[in-house]
Amino acid sequence: MVSGPDSLERISIDNLTRVRLTRLDKAMYPAGLITKGDVLMYYIRVAPLLLPFLRNRPLTLHRFPDGVEGEDFFEKDAPPGTPDFVDIFTRFSDTAGRDVHFILCNNLDTLIWIANLASLEIHTTLSTAGSSESPDLLLFDLDPEPPLQFDDVIDIAQIVREHLEDAGLQPYVKTSGKKGVHIVVPLVPGYRFREAREFVHGIGREIARTTPHAVSEFPRSRDPGTIFIDYLQNVHGKTMAAPYSLRATAGASVSAPLRWEELRHGVRPEDFNIKTMLSRHEDPWRGILEARQRL
Amino acid sequence: MKPARDSDTLPVPLARAAKNAARVAGKKPAPAVPGKKEETDLLSPDDREHAEKTGRPFWSGSITIGLINVPVRLYTMVRDRAFTFRLLHRADGQPLRYDRVCSRDGIVIPWADTVKGYEVRKGEFLVFEPDELKGAVPESSQKIRIDKFVSYLSLDPVYFENSYLLIPDWSEEAYSLLVAALQELGRAAAGTITLRTKEHPVVVHVYDGALVLTTLRHADEVMQPHSFAILPTLSVPKESELALAKRIIRDLSGDFSINDYPDRYREAIFALIDRKLAGEKIVYEEPHPGEAKELMQALQETIATLARK
Repeated sequence: MVSGPDSLERISIDNLTRVRLTRLDKAMYPAGLITKGDVLMYYIRVAPLLLPFLRNRPLTLHRFPDGVEGEDFFEKDAPPGTPDFVDIFTRFSDTAGRDVHFILCNNLDTLIWIANLASLEIHTTLSTAGSSESPDLLLFDLDPEPPLQFDDVIDIAQIVREHLEDAGLQPYVKTSGKKGVHIVVPLVPGYRFREAREFVHGIGREIARTTPHAVSEFPRSRDPGTIFIDYLQNVHGKTMAAPYSLRATAGASVSAPLRWEELRHGVRPEDFNIKTMLSRHEDPWRGILEARQRL
Repeated sequence: MKPARDSDTLPVPLARAAKNAARVAGKKPAPAVPGKKEETDLLSPDDREHAEKTGRPFWSGSITIGLINVPVRLYTMVRDRAFTFRLLHRADGQPLRYDRVCSRDGIVIPWADTVKGYEVRKGEFLVFEPDELKGAVPESSQKIRIDKFVSYLSLDPVYFENSYLLIPDWSEEAYSLLVAALQELGRAAAGTITLRTKEHPVVVHVYDGALVLTTLRHADEVMQPHSFAILPTLSVPKESELALAKRIIRDLSGDFSINDYPDRYREAIFALIDRKLAGEKIVYEEPHPGEAKELMQALQETIATLARK
């Protein structure tokens, strides 16, 4: 550490960040009295793990100015008053019919600024700025339909893992922080979203054919008692919750990167939350962006 | 509460304490002679200060359990160290004092010309002369009368008023036996102490190898929560939220240490006093919110971690 607590007396927070922190005692989560100060603390603590992943990825903010029980809104476009230290990636959006100024979280101050905006959730695209049509992440999005539960998602996730490992790939897994899991394979440059989508769909079909509850086709995705192996997220412009992003759940859960061995029956998404994550001493996704793979 | 009647209903160690006490008592007569001793009110700040300055007990007598007497001296235990300023006359810097001022003519009234009154209706008083009140004042008996033994954990702190240290008064064996017996059984002794004008419910428990007497508030001095209508109508929390709340509580669980909670106001005031004594001019600086300090620490660590990468 650069300096001990004593030196804190003499320096001001303004020497450490260009963000002017506001309303630190604002309650953000209903349970456990979690304030915006706690949210800032969380993002500052996980920044060393989160920032490398976020680098150059256009973000979608999910802001909760009055906490998880208040009004919320998504924000893709940099809001008025965005500070100079925030990198912006401007791109014409077909859906919006105009230029969108995407926020890139390329430094610690930007992350602090985002957290200070009460953007509890941080979502990223599966491609980086400048190669928007070419995904560098492949995503399997698994969610259970009741009465199935997280244990059932774990079963299917482990089957997806087997299929990917059989294909010589090394997949990474994280909880979505809500009900399901995300399985991600980092890709070498050059793939198209269509290729990624077809690959995920192919594996989904194979699993659905042989595994109870697993569903590979969208029309059945909301059937009770199923788990849809969602390939449709592999689309230009779609986003997923970033690893280590908080989620807007009552329990302040986190989209938590896990070791595959941790994904066992009995584990619950809410086990990984704003409090527990800071005491984890490993990053199961360490080096993910250096482990790019070919399909 | 029924008083314990005789020593054969007491736990064995206490019966032995009775014998010891009796044996020791035989060597030296009990010193407590009502009337001869200075009567002092438990709650008078002057007495407390006096005892603190002189190191003298401000009460002595004995713990009485049926036929057993454990002679003790009572010492003040709690020092109120809350910081207070004196109020001065700004023009000449002289301290102000409080006086008894008649509300009608504004004249300062000497103690000798005062009398006690009970307000029956607004502005209408029933006047009592000191002699009239004598009958109502409980007799000071130099005794801490124990009625029963209770689990210390069953006592709720809402009733605790003030704690006093009990020190053995020439009968160390009886005292030591009572300490050991209470400690082993996890019990406290419940009873009463009578002082000048008031009978106080008390508990005596073992704290750090000593007997400590704590005066208790009477039942009607403590408001019951259910007088708030909202409390009985609270909703039952959701299972998942409860599980999370419990997890957070477990994460933050630890051993309590009172030393974790220094009197920050007092410390800050004394720091200011030092600066002022050294001739410094005090200028108020906008403080960072309390949380900001922890955030700064986290920020410094994160910045250092990122710099290493």
